[in-house]
Amino acid sequence: MKMKKLMVLTAAASMALSVTACGSNNNNGNNGGSNSAATNAPSESTAPAGNAGTDNTGAETAQITPEDGATLMVWESKEERAFTDAIAKEFTEKYNVPVKIEELSPTEQVTKLSQDGPSSLGADVILIPHDNLGRAASAQLLLPNDVFEQETIKNNTEAAITGASYDGLLYGYPRAVETYALFYNKSLVTEAPKTFDDVLAFGKTFTDKSKNRYGIMWEVGNMYFDYPFIASNGGYLFGDNGTNKDDIGINTDGAIQGLSEFKKLKEVLPINSGDINPDIKRGLFNSGDVAMDITGPWELAGYKAALGDNLGLTPLPTVGGKTAISLAGFKIFAVNAYTQYPNAAKLYAEFASSKEAQLMLNELVGSIPTNLEALEDPQIKDDPYVSAFAEQAKNSQPMPSIPEMGNVWSPVNAALPEIWDKGVDPKTAMDKAAQQIKDLNNGTSK
Amino acid sequence: MQRHHTRAATILSTLFMGLGQIYNRQFIKGFIFLIVEALSLTYFIQKLGRAFWGIVTLGTTSQHFEKVKGIAKLVKGDHSIFILIQSLITIIFFLLFLLAWYMNIRDARKTGAARDAGHTPGTFKQSIRYILDYKFAQTFLILPSVGILLFTVMPIIFMVMLAFTNYSAPNHMPPAKLVDWVGFETFRSLLVLKSWSQTFYGVLTWTIIWAILSTVTTYLGGMLVAMLVSQQGIRFKGVWRAILIVPYAIPQMISLLLMRNLFNGQFGPINQYLKVFGLDGLPWLTDPFWAKVTVIVVNMWVGIPVSMLLIMGVLTTIPRDMYEAAEVDGANSYQKFRIITLPMVLFSTAPTLIAQFAGNINNFNAIFLLTAGNPPNGDYQYAGSTDLLVTWLYKLTLDQNKYNMASAVGIIIFLIVASFSLYNYRRTKSFQEEDMIQ
Repeated sequence: MKMKKLMVLTAAASMALSVTACGSNNNNGNNGGSNSAATNAPSESTAPAGNAGTDNTGAETAQITPEDGATLMVWESKEERAFTDAIAKEFTEKYNVPVKIEELSPTEQVTKLSQDGPSSLGADVILIPHDNLGRAASAQLLLPNDVFEQETIKNNTEAAITGASYDGLLYGYPRAVETYALFYNKSLVTEAPKTFDDVLAFGKTFTDKSKNRYGIMWEVGNMYFDYPFIASNGGYLFGDNGTNKDDIGINTDGAIQGLSEFKKLKEVLPINSGDINPDIKRGLFNSGDVAMDITGPWELAGYKAALGDNLGLTPLPTVGGKTAISLAGFKIFAVNAYTQYPNAAKLYAEFASSKEAQLMLNELVGSIPTNLEALEDPQIKDDPYVSAFAEQAKNSQPMPSIPEMGNVWSPVNAALPEIWDKGVDPKTAMDKAAQQIKDLNNGTSK
Repeated sequence: MQRHHTRAATILSTLFMGLGQIYNRQFIKGFIFLIVEALSLTYFIQKLGRAFWGIVTLGTTSQHFEKVKGIAKLVKGDHSIFILIQSLITIIFFLLFLLAWYMNIRDARKTGAARDAGHTPGTFKQSIRYILDYKFAQTFLILPSVGILLFTVMPIIFMVMLAFTNYSAPNHMPPAKLVDWVGFETFRSLLVLKSWSQTFYGVLTWTIIWAILSTVTTYLGGMLVAMLVSQQGIRFKGVWRAILIVPYAIPQMISLLLMRNLFNGQFGPINQYLKVFGLDGLPWLTDPFWAKVTVIVVNMWVGIPVSMLLIMGVLTTIPRDMYEAAEVDGANSYQKFRIITLPMVLFSTAPTLIAQFAGNINNFNAIFLLTAGNPPNGDYQYAGSTDLLVTWLYKLTLDQNKYNMASAVGIIIFLIVASFSLYNYRRTKSFQEEDMIQ
């Protein structure tokens, strides 16, 4: 008769539990009422605090001081850990704010922030490639760089500022520029090639597929490295400096012309794009089986160790007579919009992207500064490798940072192998890719 | 006045939980019910309205920045996805509460009926005693059931709901933007809109081909190897078995990543060896067709040991005298295989075979680690030529944040796997004639 009584009791007990559990949760910003939501904003402490004891914060950082009891969490890439540890230590010494570092690949940071940020679990300061900025900023995950806006603009290259801005607002604190240039093995290539025709001519004498020797190698299936062929003769990804999502320029006449140069190079690199990967390329270049390699500064240390004085580095050869335009990526710090300590976070981002910090980063990791004064520093100017990258960086375009940039990679990275592997006409392949990007931009998620 | 107590207890309990029990003089139980209802009421008064509002609107104010003295301040708005989850939890609790209320009424009614029939209602002690003696199992299943409800059923409902929203990058990502219900729009895009449907049907077709081929090849391969090894007159059986089981012992991830390099079309050892013999080699991973062949071949290498183990076990259970009888009747080895071995093995392993098939539909590792879905396919949206539905789903969520599309694909995968499995299970002999083998 009295069946299921305990079932009722337990159900009731679990409900009672949930009352207490959820009751306390009641005020956590999910109230909908705009008043209570406003009071829950985490950045109340943004108001200039701690004006009492302005100890020795230095002239340029006098505007804000870290919140009392602030601690910071920073996401940093594993490869640059040496720099991060050093700069975090200096920051802690100067501001007495402990900094905790978590290793996370910069390309994954925005994705992780979009999951963890709103739950207040994300890092206070993140480090992202600037092409991810649009995605993060349009999702309102980042606080604008407002306190240090003037200084950041004044101190860094124009391209870096473009890269660190989204929708007319500066978000990032740029700390390094990354692009690629032509590495070559001086014992094989006597004179650095000036044009891709030179490369082709040299390759014809050197490439021997049966012995796995190649005049040049690069990741031919990757739009990042193939961009010079698209852009040098007038192609582009998005119009209006990479901000107009409806103006797609990968299939303009200029781009097609450049891509036919690209297609020609298959003769000296007769391999399918999918068979080339960075590990293989690195091994062949180090062993002298590849004479030239288009890649970025991240390979520098290893190549120097393997080739020693035989390593040469020069800006990219010209494409169809035009200066090669590479894609530049900026690594930028940004501040999580949900941070508990916005002041401390902004201070850290500024501190870790200052001139001194950028020079230190160059020394420890080998990056190229964006800071104008740092670029003029002898440490940079006198290093033939870094200055070659810096030279190429001048002829580079920042990757578009609008969120639609995410729609470009996959279609173009599918079209390029079709041109390279199957010899599809560049126009046909790029038209299809452009159409796909359009579909994605305006498609279902509208 | 025959039914007096029954009616009164029922009405009282319906009005307020526990009143019926108190009326029935079961005071402790009644008070417990009263407290439960009181607590639940305070909870639901606060939450329920918002839950229904939330699940209907998915939030109305979006987040924005406000400038205070030139410094941007974040003003939080509604986070549609959090709202959806919270509303879902509240509504599930509400359903549990309704269930409790129903049981409270039933209890009061039964006790009332017992009183009408002249029995004295049980004391609280007796109630507890009764539950411990007769309802022990049900009682202790309550907690796991609630756990399953919250941690398994609720997330599934949540995912299914996502397919009916426009939760996707870049235009509908909370907290910056709100998410809305769009009904079957996502499914319509997936199945009808050319840019998506082309990918979907292409990937779906390959997924099914892959599932069939990979299951059949590993199963037949395993059977072949198992029969060879367990044949009479084969020496060093232990050694053969050990060698053949090695691929199974290496973690799949390692062997697949290794294979990826082995099959490199230019620098991989396989093609290098072929070259030594004057052969050109094949574009193992860079041509769509050969890439598909490669994943199936590699999957055989990984999967055959599993089938082999399974089938070797079954082979030992086949009674020897069946073969002897067949020999007496003059059967050759093929006939023995077809009439005795194959049916016996199939019979015992059919359920596993179906499980393998369903598993292969979702065989994420084999594809993702070996080819990552490549070679790229210019006609597909975010997918390559060897992508399965499940790896495509991975790319849609983790790389592209198209959560609504991914949920829709997930639902479709579930429907496919579930229907195949159900259909096959019901047709399998092992289920129809459970008494074929004693």
